[in-house]
Amino acid sequence: MFNRLKNRVLTSIVPDIPSITPSPSYSIGRPLPDKFQYQRPPFLQLLTPDELKASADHNVRPIIVPRDVGIMPFSCGYAECVNSGKSEWNEDQAAFSMNVLHHPSKDFPDLPYVYFGIFDGHAGYGAALAASLQFHHILHEKLVDIIELLLPTNVNETPPMFPLMFHKTVSKDELIIGALESSFYDMDAVLAEDRTKYRNAGGCTSVVTLFILGKMYVANAGDSRAILSQRLSKEMIKMQNDKPYPNGTKCDSDDYQVIATPFSFDHTPDTERGRILSLGKVHPDLMGGEYLAMEYAKKPMTKDLGTRILYKTGNMKGWTYKTLTKEDLKMPIVTGEGKRSRLLGTIGVTRGFGDHDLRALGSGLLIKPFLSCHPEIVYRDLSLIISLPDDNNIDGEYGILIMGTDGLWDVLENETVARITFETLKKYPNEKHRYTMVAQELVAKSRGRANDSGHWRLSDLKAPATVDDISVIVIPVYQYYKEFCEWEKKFFEAQQRREALRNNSNNKNSNNKNKQQAMPTATTNGNVSLNKIVENIDDDDEDDEVQEAKEENSEISDEIDKAIEKLNLNDGNSEEPTESTA
Amino acid sequence: MSYAYLFKYIIIGDTGVGKSCLLLQFTDKRFQPVHDLTIGVEFGARMITIDGKQIKLQIWDTAGQEAFRSITRSYYRGAAGALLVYDITRRETFNHLTTWLEDARQHSNSNMVIMLIGNKSDLESRREVKKEEGEAFAREHGLVFMETSARTAANVEEAFINTAKEIYEKIQEGVFDINNEANGIKIGTVSTPTNPSIGSNLPGGQSSNSCC
Repeated sequence: MFNRLKNRVLTSIVPDIPSITPSPSYSIGRPLPDKFQYQRPPFLQLLTPDELKASADHNVRPIIVPRDVGIMPFSCGYAECVNSGKSEWNEDQAAFSMNVLHHPSKDFPDLPYVYFGIFDGHAGYGAALAASLQFHHILHEKLVDIIELLLPTNVNETPPMFPLMFHKTVSKDELIIGALESSFYDMDAVLAEDRTKYRNAGGCTSVVTLFILGKMYVANAGDSRAILSQRLSKEMIKMQNDKPYPNGTKCDSDDYQVIATPFSFDHTPDTERGRILSLGKVHPDLMGGEYLAMEYAKKPMTKDLGTRILYKTGNMKGWTYKTLTKEDLKMPIVTGEGKRSRLLGTIGVTRGFGDHDLRALGSGLLIKPFLSCHPEIVYRDLSLIISLPDDNNIDGEYGILIMGTDGLWDVLENETVARITFETLKKYPNEKHRYTMVAQELVAKSRGRANDSGHWRLSDLKAPATVDDISVIVIPVYQYYKEFCEWEKKFFEAQQRREALRNNSNNKNSNNKNKQQAMPTATTNGNVSLNKIVENIDDDDEDDEVQEAKEENSEISDEIDKAIEKLNLNDGNSEEPTESTA
Repeated sequence: MSYAYLFKYIIIGDTGVGKSCLLLQFTDKRFQPVHDLTIGVEFGARMITIDGKQIKLQIWDTAGQEAFRSITRSYYRGAAGALLVYDITRRETFNHLTTWLEDARQHSNSNMVIMLIGNKSDLESRREVKKEEGEAFAREHGLVFMETSARTAANVEEAFINTAKEIYEKIQEGVFDINNEANGIKIGTVSTPTNPSIGSNLPGGQSSNSCC
């Protein structure tokens, strides 16, 4: 009873920053070491302790951007800013990685991919730091495992589906989504394993974007967020009126309209009430007799005992009556609404990595069983975009992907973020650092400025700004797609060579000097126009290429079968991926 | 290294006047003829000795471009010293000093020491602003003045150290409230060689218990 009271008092006084009871350390006797020494993302080049210290100035909250824009993929933008003093260090982290996957046959150009991640830490910086330094290695291994399924080895034999080898139909999208999902599981498992060896790392949210094979996959667990900002001509919007954007909102901007499309969905106790109440209902033991897996239409009071009350439990969408008993006076497993909702009166985010030792305020119950590291994934096939960017709108329909921690989203609406994005880009039409300027502007707007008494306020100096850490990544999607098209061209050229070689060896003894006009039948994604491929082939060079290809050993069709046998794919058990038809 | 005080500086002035080069010359004792445009803010630090006391200078080097002006304004808060830099070979950078000074006075704490610096004194043949003009401007606005060259290192040490001396004197006179970190002055922590103060400030213990 006392605990319950204490919980309520604590959550009502400091709903935003509940202090968490320090979890008992696993160490017996001496403290465990940090797994990674604290640092900011390496691309910021804050290398000395002095620079680190200056960047974490809670009074001034400097906005930090990469010194060298050239090291960022596609000149993408990044900016961050420390909290106003709620924790000593900025507990957000960010990472990117540009890498390639080698095809075992060596007949194909390496498949490039780009990854971006943003992690918002809580109850310590360890989990976010570990995720920023380790997640991309885990993901890379998962992608290496499936490379032979991602690229067709044989022009005539490998369709983009694999129904023959498996009991189920497996698409490339599912393979990539599976790689992302299992990377999330593994990252969480790494943190679980580390807690016996290293200092308690706390937990973190995770939003990750993977650009591969001309598609953009956004995987999210937690309350960081990714949105796509697009600036579309009004004509374009008219054309697309029959297929409206889900949740898309339009803002006026001269001849164009700016649209914000969410590419992730926040996981808070409020948005995940159904999952959490179901779990509590099925496993009441997880609640230690202290909490209730119920939601009431009205707060149960002692004076109402014996009367009827409307309630929900499990996954119920609607309300039903029950008679109020003493049992109903226990603390509900989820309290509060929206961003202020709390799980077990303690934590405001319900998915992510870590938190293995986090205990509920008051009851001391372990919270982890109610948390999930499973990401929701949204993807977009960039080859489906028909309009080409022009000088007046170089980011075109491809848009700008904005990834940010809740420091940004708590004070700026998606539509406001999209509007600021294009307003800023307009001011810097040609600068290489234009996307950095967007990131910087978004952080500046959400940080606001300190008034005379040192409180952070938005630009009007009235509404409160965020006191949280803020991190923002700004990705010009078209810049990736351009690079992908270059790669795709090389890929088809390689396929042409293989096909030429195959036909050549078939007709070894005949005197066939006709040029090979083999058209690719298998494509990296099914939507590439054949005309485009034909244009890309330089006929004059082809004979030379055929000659070169002759010298290569291309008899590898058995290899893929062997490799596929090795792969053990999990059946099902994944949420239906949502595809944005943007 | 332990220090008695930490002073926070900010370097301001038009783009291309040599702010980043002055910082690099002071912290690393080198000159980089081609320096990328500073975006946002960069940090430098160096230990100096005044009156037998170790003083750490933490220097914020800001972007000079107009586009960054509003963000730079938020950095005056919490600086004990400012180096206001112009380029003696470009008259317009001198003409803009009034605007910079207004900005600085409006957004900083009133005790901030401002040092006016005419940089690129090695380029005598291209000089557009006479030394006397710099002196006059400084006198009129109550600033300390110096001409420097980030290329030859002439007067660079002096510029940073003299500013520190002024701040130090103000502390001795009791003008600065040294207990308020927002004034850009921090009293050093006592430390032993095996436990350097900066090291101990680095995350060792995760004191943070806050959540989401």
